[in-house]
Amino acid sequence: MSPYVYYISTLVVFFFIFAISTWGLNLQFGTAGILNFTYITFFAIGGYFTGVSMLGRPDALSNMRYILGLSLPFPIALLIGATAAGILGLLVGLVALRRLRSDYLAIVTVSVGAIVYDFVNVNTAVFNGADGIAGVPFPFNDSLNLDPNTYTFFYVGLAGLFALVLGILAARIYNSPLGRTLRAIREDADVASAFGKDSYRFRMIVMVVGCIYAGIAGGLLVGFISAFNTGGWTVGETFLLYAALLVGGRGNNWGALLGAFLVPVLFQEATRFLPVIPGHPELIPAIRNMIVGGLLIAVLWIRPEGILPERKAKFHGVYTPKRKAALKVD
Amino acid sequence: MSVLALSFGFGLITASVLALAAVGVSLQFGVTNYVNFAYGEFLTIGVYVAWTLSHGLHLNIYLSLMLATLSVGVFALLLDRFLLRPFAKRGAPLLFLLVVTFGLSLFLSNLILAIWGPNFKSLDFAPEMPYKFGPFLFTTSQLSIIGIAVVAMTALHVLLTRTEIGKAMRAMSDSVDLAQISGIDIDRITSFTWLLSGCLAGLAGIVLAINITSFQPSFGGEFLFVIFSAVILGGIGSPYGAMLGALVIGLATEMSAVLINSAYKNDVAFALLILTLLLRPQGIIRMAGKA
Repeated sequence: MSPYVYYISTLVVFFFIFAISTWGLNLQFGTAGILNFTYITFFAIGGYFTGVSMLGRPDALSNMRYILGLSLPFPIALLIGATAAGILGLLVGLVALRRLRSDYLAIVTVSVGAIVYDFVNVNTAVFNGADGIAGVPFPFNDSLNLDPNTYTFFYVGLAGLFALVLGILAARIYNSPLGRTLRAIREDADVASAFGKDSYRFRMIVMVVGCIYAGIAGGLLVGFISAFNTGGWTVGETFLLYAALLVGGRGNNWGALLGAFLVPVLFQEATRFLPVIPGHPELIPAIRNMIVGGLLIAVLWIRPEGILPERKAKFHGVYTPKRKAALKVD
Repeated sequence: MSVLALSFGFGLITASVLALAAVGVSLQFGVTNYVNFAYGEFLTIGVYVAWTLSHGLHLNIYLSLMLATLSVGVFALLLDRFLLRPFAKRGAPLLFLLVVTFGLSLFLSNLILAIWGPNFKSLDFAPEMPYKFGPFLFTTSQLSIIGIAVVAMTALHVLLTRTEIGKAMRAMSDSVDLAQISGIDIDRITSFTWLLSGCLAGLAGIVLAINITSFQPSFGGEFLFVIFSAVILGGIGSPYGAMLGALVIGLATEMSAVLINSAYKNDVAFALLILTLLLRPQGIIRMAGKA
């Protein structure tokens, strides 16, 4: 198989994973206005728990340390990963969502991100620190026994299936009464409360669901690349997703999909071809992060609604029986 | 007991560093009503500019520190004038402003990384012998950190209570609309607040670097949530609350290092933040309309 086909199919898998993450972020930030500045931590928790649930017992001879080690099949491991991400989301929500101001939630998420990151890096005896985990078995491949190239095609299908189901679910949530309530809370929490909507409860639901999306995306990534370490979940990664969502169009699931293609996939790949300056290996990643940060600010200034803006809800009037009859006459 | 007394002394130093930084956050939040997530990078810029002035240009170290402090203030003022205020004036929602400041933190921390590289650096001070004060041990630079903080806090108190500009800042913090119709030039006060907040951040970054002896590009950003813990504990928007919060967080983190393990210093600050949000989210000193 030509290397290009292999390269493209790898990119397609990444695109699906980024799409799932961006939809989850769109549920939180785009739909409900929840400012989660450490979205990538939930992605990481999902990935980590999926990985360690699939790995066998830690080998005493190797230096890799991790918890669990349950040798579970991928679907159950992914469920564990998603649940772990959801539970962390619930805990963060319990502390921060009671206050209505977004600042508090943002501060708590930033702190949680820093604490979890430190905790994993410092406790090398438990989590293997910055080296992370490696050698996670490829999902379903013990029964499929595919060669690496064909397996990539299989994974395109697997990730695509997850993206399809989660994309439809995200669209269903957006258009459901729950989605309407969330948008109402986002626009004006006081008015929503006056109509009897418990904004704490609704925001909590979407906080947890969004984190589960992140957890699933993380699990899918670990299943694909079979390794994971803390270098992959820095603040810059969260920002890549925010940039994707804002460029594509927050509050619009198609926009999130478009953004997931434009920013993490296209932009990341394009900057891979930048020349590395000898002696300064950190320069290119630093410039890349500067561009992401700058892009985010520029989009918010030039076109805050993104390429595909959220469609405004139309009010067709109240359908009383009398009015329905009148409309039929017309 | 003497170990605990020693750690109490270290706690006072950390509290002094925190107080400078936390008051800067709180003043700016009070006046503009949004949190600046790039504040940690202000600290980092302060210390790197000081390092460049003293190492690169061989200026006198104290002159370098003063110039660096001032330069962060000017930088913060310009950032507000040309980036943040245009967003705020457009009526951008709070969410956007927070994303802008967070995007700015990503931009600035990587700019620092690109300019100065990832290696640890330190401001050169001659190694010092600690003096004994009762049960405490302090070096001259540690004493000067406490001194700087005490002088700065006193000056700030005088500014806020005795001068017109300070009173105007407090008025804006209570209500921007009422301040404006009372004839306060809110643009000028906002600029001054950012200048002051930036200077405090620059100074805090420098004394933090002196206290922990070395720094690298992410050092301010990593300290940011400890600052936020102090600000929220004290009551966001209240400068006096921020001082109080800094004292509590500073003492708690350093003394816990003796009682538990110094690796969990930050976790103690985090635990206090969570407890505050659960038990008394308005903080020790409550500011109306800020929580």
